[in-house]
Amino acid sequence: MTAPRPVARCDGAARTFGHGPRAVVALQPTTCEIFAGTRIAVTGPSGSGKSTLLHLLAGLDAPTLGTVTWPEIGPRDALRPSRIGVVFQGPSLLPPLTVGENVALPLLLAGRTEAEATSGARAALERLDLADLASKLPEEISGGQAQRVAVARALTGHPVLLLADEPTGQLDHGNATAVVDVLEEAARHSGAALIVATHDPEVAERLPERWLMRDGRLAFTTAQRAWLR
Amino acid sequence: MAALSWLHGVVRRRPGRLVATAAGVAVAVALLASIGAFLSATEAKMTQRAIARVGVDWQVEAQPGSDPARVLAATRHFPGVTRALPVGFAATTGLSGTAGGSGQTTGPGRVLGLPPGYARAFGGQLRTLSGRGDGVLLAQQTAANLHAQPGDTVAVGRAGLPPAHVRVDGIVDLPEADSLFQRVGAPPGAQAQAPPDNVVLLPAATFRTVVAPLAAKRADLVRTQVHVRLRHDLPASPGAAFTRVSGQARQLESRLVGSGLVGDNLGATLDKARSDALYAELLFLFLGLPGAIVAALLTATLAAGGAQRRREDQALLRTRGATTRRLVGLAALEAALAGGVGVALGLGIALLLGATVFGSASFGASTLSALLWAGGSALAGLLIAGAAITLPAWRQARSLTVAAAHRAPPRPGRAPRWQRWGLDVACLVGAALVYWQASANGYQLVVAPEGVPQVSVNWYALLAPILGWIGAGLLAYRLAELVLNRGRRPLARTLHPVGGPLASTVVATMSRQRGLLARAVALVAVTVAFAASTAVFDATYRQQAGVDARLTNGADVTVNEPSTATTAPAFAQRLQRAGGVASVEPLQHRYAYIGPDLQDLYGVRPTTIAAAGKLQDAWFAGGSASGLMHRLQTQPSAVLVSEETVRDYQLSPGELLRLRLLDGATGRFATVPFHYAGVAREFPTAPLDSFFVANAGYVARVTHNPAVGTFLISTDGTSPAAVASRVRRVAGPTASVTDITTQRKIVGSNLTAVGMAGLTKVELVFALVLVAAATGLVLALGFAERRRTFAIASALGARARDLGAFVWAESLLVTVGGVVLGALIAVAITAMLITILSGVFDPPPDAPAIPWAYLGGLVALAAAAAAIAGGVTLRRLRRPAISVLRDA
Repeated sequence: MTAPRPVARCDGAARTFGHGPRAVVALQPTTCEIFAGTRIAVTGPSGSGKSTLLHLLAGLDAPTLGTVTWPEIGPRDALRPSRIGVVFQGPSLLPPLTVGENVALPLLLAGRTEAEATSGARAALERLDLADLASKLPEEISGGQAQRVAVARALTGHPVLLLADEPTGQLDHGNATAVVDVLEEAARHSGAALIVATHDPEVAERLPERWLMRDGRLAFTTAQRAWLR
Repeated sequence: MAALSWLHGVVRRRPGRLVATAAGVAVAVALLASIGAFLSATEAKMTQRAIARVGVDWQVEAQPGSDPARVLAATRHFPGVTRALPVGFAATTGLSGTAGGSGQTTGPGRVLGLPPGYARAFGGQLRTLSGRGDGVLLAQQTAANLHAQPGDTVAVGRAGLPPAHVRVDGIVDLPEADSLFQRVGAPPGAQAQAPPDNVVLLPAATFRTVVAPLAAKRADLVRTQVHVRLRHDLPASPGAAFTRVSGQARQLESRLVGSGLVGDNLGATLDKARSDALYAELLFLFLGLPGAIVAALLTATLAAGGAQRRREDQALLRTRGATTRRLVGLAALEAALAGGVGVALGLGIALLLGATVFGSASFGASTLSALLWAGGSALAGLLIAGAAITLPAWRQARSLTVAAAHRAPPRPGRAPRWQRWGLDVACLVGAALVYWQASANGYQLVVAPEGVPQVSVNWYALLAPILGWIGAGLLAYRLAELVLNRGRRPLARTLHPVGGPLASTVVATMSRQRGLLARAVALVAVTVAFAASTAVFDATYRQQAGVDARLTNGADVTVNEPSTATTAPAFAQRLQRAGGVASVEPLQHRYAYIGPDLQDLYGVRPTTIAAAGKLQDAWFAGGSASGLMHRLQTQPSAVLVSEETVRDYQLSPGELLRLRLLDGATGRFATVPFHYAGVAREFPTAPLDSFFVANAGYVARVTHNPAVGTFLISTDGTSPAAVASRVRRVAGPTASVTDITTQRKIVGSNLTAVGMAGLTKVELVFALVLVAAATGLVLALGFAERRRTFAIASALGARARDLGAFVWAESLLVTVGGVVLGALIAVAITAMLITILSGVFDPPPDAPAIPWAYLGGLVALAAAAAAIAGGVTLRRLRRPAISVLRDA
């Protein structure tokens, strides 16, 4: 029996912004592996490197040192639009597109026909109980609804890795709970790996595994803590 | 202090929007101020040229019973008079002479007595054609009538006295005969008096001998004029110069206390230049002001591109307690900085253009007007900056909450009021009505009554292009919005080659931003229309200036034989061999009496003159140029006459017309039958007033004289001046040879002379800059404002090709939509401008000239600007999406 391959792997990956004396190290050399079905909360204070780690794992940014690979998925070009779903911090819906069009966009970018994309988007919205909002523009819905729509959009391509960067940062408690519910449910249902960067302890407590980051370093994981105990 | 910190921050963090606004202001200010420099240079040149054209500034006529010597003395002592010489005028009952064994007698005429040095003092009054330039001189036409040559004796008839005999020393042309023989003291606007057909000029001493007995017997037939040259330190503007000169003339008359009246030739010429100066100002209004307004609109659009960021800035300031007044104050500071930089830059550019293109590094003809132009342009620049930045900031600060300011601008909802009220259609209907009404009949834009200081402009007619511009701009917006709102499906199909599978999504995004895109399309349309209409107007103007020069000169090179010469048509073959000659067209020039009026008659070869003289349909009435020439061919007795003659003699088509022409066989005037076939308004080498055009073969047959007066020469591409030089050697010293290049510099209207080219060259360059900015900058800034949207799309997996679909579809819509709508607007506006400003065209054009190269360049530039904007945007999107999201 062969060991399962990780969905994503960081091998001494580090990210530095700027050069020379003004250089800022956002992420120190980090090594980690993410497997399918894992649900991880990455916590830590602001500026600790949570978002940078997520961006590297999502392939949205490249490490300045070390490597990030996606053994289960393939090369970087194969990541999007469907294999990795990303929920961004703050408003991320395209303002001139309706909710339905926003959700359908990744499918269109993946080469699906317009009819397939529309039906896929409808299914994703229905799954999150957002079908009523399909024809509305982002400016016409609340922040919580917009974030749930962003989750729906991340799920449309049935990703194997779902990354959410502070998805509840600008939401009230009720909306935050609803968004995390949706993310957890989606990950559980699809078997995708879920990583949520958050500094909300309540959100972090909802996920089985938690990673703590401090000063750009992965301080420890829950597995390490258990081992320490 | 806080305000300065804010300004410092804006300069450091938002330099793009400041630079864009300042650039827009600079273009508007430079355009306005350089037009000021053009007007300054133009008006000064018009005055100078008017002065240069006048041979005798004043003709002060001693009134009956007064002492001419005292009039002369008073005139000489009048301030500003540099030269004053007495000239005697007497009436003769007729001149007679004997040539070739037959006697010739003319009708009544004039005898002039010229003091020594007259020709030198008043250059241009006399042109020697043969013999000496002094002594007893015969006018060209008189010599023709008498068949007289230098050395012949002519008898001068004196009322109630035996004729006096004088020996002719030379034959001269009197280029200024109209003013020389004017009726001094005629009321302003009175019908001009035709100069006499028979004139003999005598030296003052001979004049006294010949005329003294007549003066003793019939003092009413003899008078004295003092011909005056003035100091020409006049104001630069023709209007002010006219006011001063005519005022001085009235002052001299009041000093002469009724003993003398002033014939104010200089005033009359400046009077004509006034209306040209007014036309120049109107050209500014029609060609310059739309450019400045387009630049202002462009500036506002560029500044509006940063509206969202400004809204967010305002929201931040609001959270820190800034009041509306504070927010508006900060915006005003930003506007003042952008406006100040733009004004300084614009004035600098205008000065540079003025010095290099117009030869005048000033903004006005006088210090006051220079200050007004510079100040006015600067004020306009600051107002544009204020309107572009402060006004929207004030509206936002009053109406938006912090939360709303953070949100994107709302999607277009209810149509704006102008759209609901149909203001665009109303403006266009109004423009059409005014245009139709103004140009229906007897339309004149500028009316400058002769001798009256005030000139009036038909401002009502100007409403047509103004309403046209407003209506067309608004309609372009409406149409673009309509297509984006209601035409999504066809638009998606059209854009499928660019958008691919994303075409519907791309069109959906465009439709939701239709307000912004429609504004961009309308701006490009108006800018393209401005550039194209200016270019077509300029090309048409140049075309007509060329036609004017050709009309005056007749051809590339023209040979005018003296009236005494009897050159045969076969001489054309000798001229043909001069080198550089493509073709030679002989043209008869005779004089013909219709009733008591003497008019020029041109005998043409109907089969070849249309091509050789480049005849235009607009020069004729009652048929096309080729049709009427065909008529002359098929009916040899057919004759074309002037509109004035048709009116004066109540002629009907086909009517028999009996003209009297000089018969070559008898040397006497004989009656020749012609038939009225049509109207000739203009004809190569013909005068502006009345003339006839007839079949040369018929004229030669009935007058027993095939002599040719003029040869029209077309060159084979060799420079007309070079061909003229060769032709002079063949034609000999008695013939006058002129070429079109030289003629173009000498004659023509004041506007032609001062070189509209300078103004239009500057305008056309500005138009190109505006078109490039309207397409490229507006698109680029629009894309830059939406870089977060593009970055999100990129983060979702959009590849360069997918992002390109959004960028290129938008670029294509704005460029193609703008260019097509702009071309349609340009067609309408140009037709309107050519009609409304018909006074600047002499003669009026058959059809507008289309400068295809410039227009092609214009479209290419718009496409290139859009391509660069799209290319730069896509290049910038190559950065990792997340870094764009982080920065945005």
